[in-house]
Amino acid sequence: MATHLSSGFTKTEFVDNTPLPENIPKVDEVGATSAPLKSASFFIGQYCKAYNEDFMLCKAENNDPEHCLKEGRKVTRCAIDLITKLRENCGKEFDAHWQCLENHNQELYACRKPERTFNTCVFEKLGLEKKIPGTPEGFEQIHNKENPVIRNQFK
Amino acid sequence: MPVPFEALLPFGIIAAMFTVTGTGLTTVRYFANDRKPGRFNVDTFDKAMMERDRRLTGSTRGQSTEPVAPAAFATNR
Repeated sequence: MATHLSSGFTKTEFVDNTPLPENIPKVDEVGATSAPLKSASFFIGQYCKAYNEDFMLCKAENNDPEHCLKEGRKVTRCAIDLITKLRENCGKEFDAHWQCLENHNQELYACRKPERTFNTCVFEKLGLEKKIPGTPEGFEQIHNKENPVIRNQFK
Repeated sequence: MPVPFEALLPFGIIAAMFTVTGTGLTTVRYFANDRKPGRFNVDTFDKAMMERDRRLTGSTRGQSTEPVAPAAFATNR
């Protein structure tokens, strides 16, 4: 986790003595933590699909971090944009869903009711719909299924 | 012959002891996890996410929906 600290508490403000070069544009990091991100994950996947795919293809070419900085900045900015929109438009339903997730070990199956209200709100306000890719033909989306059979996945 | 309740009393006492221990452990876990049920089955991805949460909020169970991370997040650990 943390590396060995050579000194104790600092009295001055921390100054990074190995900053990025000046020619690399600065990007803000996504400030959302794990539960809100998990809640918004499928919407981020749909909204930012183009940028995410660009980034993954770029990484597939060359795994060097320096190679894909530009695509990475676009991914980050898109995610920030969507989270801002979600908070603005569907803030209450969003909060309800990720707080439910936090109380259930971040398992999606345990929080279908808040998820349903959140999904309808996002669909109305932002036009994004949660679809799980790779669902076999003829099967309805698992999050829409009434009375699903939930059992131990390790059996 | 009526049910010999005296024989079942030790069972009741032992069951109560298990209950108290279990409840006590769960309660301690609850308070250690920022008054939320504890996480279980935490894999490496979840551990990495919880570490990121700690860098963002100060606690492995702290959550925030801020779109932009605080400035310290770029260099803290």
